Amino acid sequence: MPDFLKGNFRPAKPVTGPDTSAEEEDLETRFEREAVKRLGGSMAFVAKKKVTWSLDDNES
Amino acid sequence: MPTPATPRSTVQGETARRLVADMERITMDRIGAHAVENAGVNRDLIASGKTIADLRDAGIGGGDSAIILAAGPSIKRHDPIRLIKERGYDGTIIATDSAIFYCLRNGVVPDLAVSLDPHGGRIVRWFGDPDLTFERCAQDDYFRRQDMDDSFHNEIRSNEEVLRLINAHGPQIKIALATSSSTQVAGRAHQSGMDIYWWNPFYDDPDRPESITRRLWERNRVPLMNAGGNVGTASWMIAHAVLGKKHVALCGLDFSYYADTPYQQTQYYKEALEIVGADNLEEMYIHIHNPHLDQGYYTDPAYMWYRECFLSLVPDADCTTYNCTEGGILFGDGIVFTPLRAFLDKFAPEPTGTRRS
Repeated sequence: MPDFLKGNFRPAKPVTGPDTSAEEEDLETRFEREAVKRLGGSMAFVAKKKVTWSLDDNES
Repeated sequence: MPTPATPRSTVQGETARRLVADMERITMDRIGAHAVENAGVNRDLIASGKTIADLRDAGIGGGDSAIILAAGPSIKRHDPIRLIKERGYDGTIIATDSAIFYCLRNGVVPDLAVSLDPHGGRIVRWFGDPDLTFERCAQDDYFRRQDMDDSFHNEIRSNEEVLRLINAHGPQIKIALATSSSTQVAGRAHQSGMDIYWWNPFYDDPDRPESITRRLWERNRVPLMNAGGNVGTASWMIAHAVLGKKHVALCGLDFSYYADTPYQQTQYYKEALEIVGADNLEEMYIHIHNPHLDQGYYTDPAYMWYRECFLSLVPDADCTTYNCTEGGILFGDGIVFTPLRAFLDKFAPEPTGTRRS
């Protein structure tokens, strides 16, 4: 675009385009989030548990 | 493939450690719904079958020792089954699903197999996938790429051999099958004549309100067991907490990769690329020196989490744990890190050259 539109004056204030860095970061975050979903163990882990034969109160 | 928007300094293992800290949630997000759904689909097989409570009286293996055979890279490097056979070890052999084929092609029928991963298409490969096609192999390089059982490199031929051996020996194999297992795996276990003993994994604390674990138990009344995140740890848990074995050896529980393994051969390589980019892969792997072997290994977030889970379970174990992997990063308080030969000197002192079938 700068090759086609050449100004013949210097603007008083700097001209800035739309900020696309947030959009790029969102894309990167999204890729990471999707990839992270595929990580993970084969099964859950619950601390301090071994085997529980029954959850009935009158059985152990 | 995305690349980082701005250059960043690579800190070895930095991203990996952050993911390890969050791995419980990541795991539940990945497998929770699918696993519980599988329990529903498997309900008819579960209702008509046995549970791990029945394993207590099933006379699994001899003596009070057990050897867990998993599928870490040390299996290929050390071939523990050769020594187990030479010594005529007569204790209990428990194989993870990923190690059943290793046992069978070496003429050993494990006393018990264990499976839990809800992934349908991949885990069934350990049992032989009757629906495997060349096209499916071409679409998924998961087995080809990794430093796993070498024979999977020729996938179609390997699959046929796995099918043949599983079909031939299925009726001799008892399997502790988690209710989370896919219908493909449950189907293969049933179809091949395996003797199935069901168990529910813990997903959360059943004493909490709205517990998934409690709701699942109320539906199928199957005993609950802590899998510790992976099938190797679950196999160890079964050995002492269900079968009552007092001396449990681990083979193939590396929870890591050998230092000469290219990153491309690691399980989550593709995900690592997507998360940190090719230039920052060091962030996704944690390097650990094993002082018992004076050797370095590296691991990824999932396997590091497995290590942490296992180490937290060891103090409450009902057994002495011997890590006879002769590789890897599973060492620490409560674990006797020792060669397999030393374990067999104690529990198979009179070499007979043959193991009972």
